[in-house]
Amino acid sequence: MRKAIALLLVAFVCLAGVVAGGSGEGGSGDTYKIGFIGPLTGDNANYGIRCSNAARLAIDEINAAGGIDGKQLELIAEDSEGTVDKALASYEKLAYMDEVCAIIGPVFTSPALAVAQRCQEDGIVMVSPSATHKDVTAQPATNPDGLNYVFRTVPSDALQSEVAGHYFYEVLGYRNLASLYAMNDYSQGLALGMKETFEALGGKVVAEETCMVGDKDFRTQLTQIKAANPEAVYIPNYTVEDAQILEQAAQLGLNVRFLSSDGFSDPEIYNLAPDFTDGVIYVGPAQAEASSLLADFQAAYAAAYNGDAPDSFATNSYDAT
Amino acid sequence: MSTLTLYMQYIVNGLTLGAIYSLIALGYTMVYGILKFINFAHGDILMVGAFIGLLIYNGLTGGEAADPGAWTLIAFFIAMIISMIACALLGMLIERIAYKPLRNANRLAPLLSAIGVSFILSNGAAWIFGTQSRRFPYPFNNEPIHIGAITITPHQIVVIVVSVIMMVLLTSFVSKTRMGKAMRAASLDQSTSMLMGINVNRVISLTFAIGSALAAVGGILASFDFRVYPSMGTMTGLKAFVAAVIGGIGNIQGAMIGGVLLGILEAVGAPLLHIPNGMRDTVAFAVLIIVLLVKPDGILGKNEREKV
Repeated sequence: MRKAIALLLVAFVCLAGVVAGGSGEGGSGDTYKIGFIGPLTGDNANYGIRCSNAARLAIDEINAAGGIDGKQLELIAEDSEGTVDKALASYEKLAYMDEVCAIIGPVFTSPALAVAQRCQEDGIVMVSPSATHKDVTAQPATNPDGLNYVFRTVPSDALQSEVAGHYFYEVLGYRNLASLYAMNDYSQGLALGMKETFEALGGKVVAEETCMVGDKDFRTQLTQIKAANPEAVYIPNYTVEDAQILEQAAQLGLNVRFLSSDGFSDPEIYNLAPDFTDGVIYVGPAQAEASSLLADFQAAYAAAYNGDAPDSFATNSYDAT
Repeated sequence: MSTLTLYMQYIVNGLTLGAIYSLIALGYTMVYGILKFINFAHGDILMVGAFIGLLIYNGLTGGEAADPGAWTLIAFFIAMIISMIACALLGMLIERIAYKPLRNANRLAPLLSAIGVSFILSNGAAWIFGTQSRRFPYPFNNEPIHIGAITITPHQIVVIVVSVIMMVLLTSFVSKTRMGKAMRAASLDQSTSMLMGINVNRVISLTFAIGSALAAVGGILASFDFRVYPSMGTMTGLKAFVAAVIGGIGNIQGAMIGGVLLGILEAVGAPLLHIPNGMRDTVAFAVLIIVLLVKPDGILGKNEREKV
């Protein structure tokens, strides 16, 4: 069933691209070109590499099944390093030189916000596997009707943070939380959304600390959090920051439970903070109710990429393709 | 936790950060003192030092799997010494190839050459090692020690102790030995020192060697906290440069004071002013601007007037 939906989506995606892009643009020759934008190098490379692997896997499967309208799909992956400017440069290459009809990605939220706008203007379909910010597909300020070329296969942060707020309050029974988040669109969106839900339910966020992406020293923030004495700490950040936060929290004797977001699903965290991940609970998209398709995907992914297990990013990327 | 202990905790944390900035700032300040030139590749030498240290340490002990003990400490010591020597040689080599031929050129030329070297080193490391962060395993048991409500880790103590030792050694070298005297003379007036029979080229090489070796120590000490990755030197190097300027660039004691001050400012500044911690760098750099406005030569800088 999911595969059928995925295939339909791809068909729709390419159709839209062809219609929007004028006479056969993006569908020249015997292939439909599909772009991928995500961090393939740098600290966040894991997210991007898994997503592009999954996208490639999906495309291989579609091609093996005869492609779409008899045409094969071709994936062109571009590296964004997780930054907005590199993502826009990748977009320009994909859109104007490779003339792709659709783009999978960008993987991260901030680049996705920027690229979504361009895709809408140029009429290129964009499906992000992981950009959670609620404005990625909406951007109400500039486009009251929403962006009708932009899709995603991950729940928006509005949903994820609402679920997180409910989960922390109702299931885990916390009343006092602290949060420590990076000042980027992804982490901030989640932290603020969770706070809204959590406080509406009657809980309280007793300490709200911020950091910059790329920060290495979180001791001041953690000391302040420790002084506020919360029951648990919400850290909806990317792996590198979360690893540092967990390790330094342990060193400062901040022994409370840590809660995180889907960014935590990158297995790299176990290399960076091996002893400190125990007991962390993270809220992410549930991996599709034990469907056989998911099992197929995981097996295929493991077979194709040396037993590497896909994270929730990769799973969504597969869906997106 | 009372406000007092809270601030004492910030200061302990800031001191660790500051000690590392000081070690790195020394390299900037020593080179500036003699050549009046900012070696922008200094931050990347720190990164090379951290990578060499990590590779040797992991090679000797098997890395993360090794249990901390006497052998891991010895291995750490060996890794640090080799990394210092390698970085000292690298620093001298860079000076020889990229800066010496430009010594009499336009003042911007060596600066641009330094930026070029910086890119070559960081991109080279990215090419060889990949861009992911790597963990430097603790060679000793890093269980935090609690003193009252304040927490300090053995790593923080090691950082502070090693930094103090390095600074004492450097200070006595510069003030007591012949070569140190030659360095001070060269920083006062290069051509006169040359006339007095000082081999200024050797002095400059030595300056780069010492600065780079200290950067290697700083890089290794920082990498427990910061992780090891090819662009690790960029921000740390920039902060250390700021520390050197705050303290009075060209002045060795100034670099030490500036580094510690900047570290503490970073840790204490944002909570003291009740602004979000994401703005801590803004606080640090705002202080830099204020220092420069009030005392353009830095805290210990000499207030020399140009003779007309």
